[in-house]
Amino acid sequence: MAYLQILKPGIQTTVQDAGRPQHQRDGFPESGSIDQGAARVANLLVGNAEQAAVLEFSLLGPTIEFSAPTFIALTGAEFATDLNGESLAANRCWQVQAGDVLTIGNATKGRVGYLAVAGGIQTQPVLGSRSTTMRLHLGGLNGQALAAGDLLPVKRQVVLPSYFHRHLPAERLPEQATPAEIRLLKGPQWDWFDEATQTALVDSEYEISNQADRMGYRLTGPKLTVPERSLLSTATVRGALQVPANGQPIVLLADRQTTGGYPIIAVVATVDLGYFAQCQPGQKVRFKLIGLPTAQTLLADVRQPLDELEQTVITGKYKPPYGISRVASQRIARLFED
Amino acid sequence: MDYRMIPVGDQAVAIEMGTTIDPAVNQRLQTIGQAVLAAHLPMVKTVIPGYATLTVTFNGQMATTEMVMKKLTPLIDAAMQAKLAPHQTWLIPVCYGGEFGPDLADVAAFAKCSAEEVIAKHTSRDYLIYFMGFLPGFAYMGSVVDEIAMPRLAEPRLEIPAGSVGIAGAQTGFYPVASPGGWRIIGQTPLKLYDPAHPQSFYHAGDLIRFQAVSAAEFATIKQAVAAGTYQPKGVA
Repeated sequence: MAYLQILKPGIQTTVQDAGRPQHQRDGFPESGSIDQGAARVANLLVGNAEQAAVLEFSLLGPTIEFSAPTFIALTGAEFATDLNGESLAANRCWQVQAGDVLTIGNATKGRVGYLAVAGGIQTQPVLGSRSTTMRLHLGGLNGQALAAGDLLPVKRQVVLPSYFHRHLPAERLPEQATPAEIRLLKGPQWDWFDEATQTALVDSEYEISNQADRMGYRLTGPKLTVPERSLLSTATVRGALQVPANGQPIVLLADRQTTGGYPIIAVVATVDLGYFAQCQPGQKVRFKLIGLPTAQTLLADVRQPLDELEQTVITGKYKPPYGISRVASQRIARLFED
Repeated sequence: MDYRMIPVGDQAVAIEMGTTIDPAVNQRLQTIGQAVLAAHLPMVKTVIPGYATLTVTFNGQMATTEMVMKKLTPLIDAAMQAKLAPHQTWLIPVCYGGEFGPDLADVAAFAKCSAEEVIAKHTSRDYLIYFMGFLPGFAYMGSVVDEIAMPRLAEPRLEIPAGSVGIAGAQTGFYPVASPGGWRIIGQTPLKLYDPAHPQSFYHAGDLIRFQAVSAAEFATIKQAVAAGTYQPKGVA
């Protein structure tokens, strides 16, 4: 069996996939990657199904040794990364060999990074998903964040079609110097809040606090006046801005509790959820209200570059020769050109 | 029963029926939930019940909220007329009082009756699981008879043992795993309500729970059988 060996774990490095949405009604958090777009791109770059299990890490990445040849791709936040001491670019597919060491350092921009490996991380699924829910010790490797010495089963792979076509532009990441603009939809309890509070939410700057994890990011900023009415517990959604008694909103993310009783003033548009998740502690954010039709058009457009990559890769795939033979033939062709 | 559909963000719709905790409303929502899942709409991810809501989540890259609402309307209308979805009634053995139920005497004082009467009242009716949340296997159930509906502790306990059965106002429930909590603990079940090896609980939202008082000796016997893996949770036919 081929595996990845964790030499240094980084911060909260976990196995994630699409999570367990269908088990939310039994009280299991949805879980899954918090920047779903970045995880999807990483998988696509190495020829995986979009929902294959990847490694997610935050602010400081892991150091990993490969026991067998395979293909990898890094996406999400910008991390100082090298392979055997040589700097390695993100957002493209790379071939690695047995004994190679990948060192992912600090995040230089953004917060959450992803490492996809051809074939996906092969840990045991729990309730249909390999996602780690640390709070419940569920999924991943023993339900925990990875530790030094952990071995993650993967598949050995030596050939990948269209190797040279597998790259994409970097995703949009928040700039620390300027407030990140996050688009919101009015939440189900928007009307419960008075006008001054509604205005405060969209006219002020909020800051991502240090209390931010896979359950949710707490924001600090102008206090929102909490309505007197009480809400019966209802299902939570990813991106909901819940306003607890202290008036400081929390944006609920992947590992949130499945139900909650705090009023939801607004919900982050799905198109901006990954961008929001990429905000580092201290990042200023500004909210902008948009309508539902706009949010849905934006969301539909997200797929386009991914579909285009898939097209390129698939078209590339049918141009012989394939794999290693193609690399060889290109080298030979270049000799004649010189 | 009237309902309305409210978009929650761009990938969910909540079906809301009033704003009260009412078993009839919740059971109707569970029935709608079953119908939505049975329809296997390709864009629908799942349904999640609350007290008076059923939230339907969907893939926003496959359909708009408007399209989903259009698909849901006939399903809801049919489920409003249909028979209630089938559900199970589960028997949960509980050893009340003593070390298992440190708050039983307080609840008795609150209800101005004996501990035996509190037990009789708590076991006198079946409780509907309105929804599951907070922790896996944590069932929000109601409602207990008014006399024993004691509000939660002012200071939550730091750790309540797994299997503890408690009361919080009209709600009753059990702690599937050891956890902090402020419920009035009146007993404990020997059943394993959360097992990381088989994380899915045997009971679900929409099921009914019937508590059954057992002695400390019976508690020990059942606990042994559970540990040996020979105990099957009992349903009521």
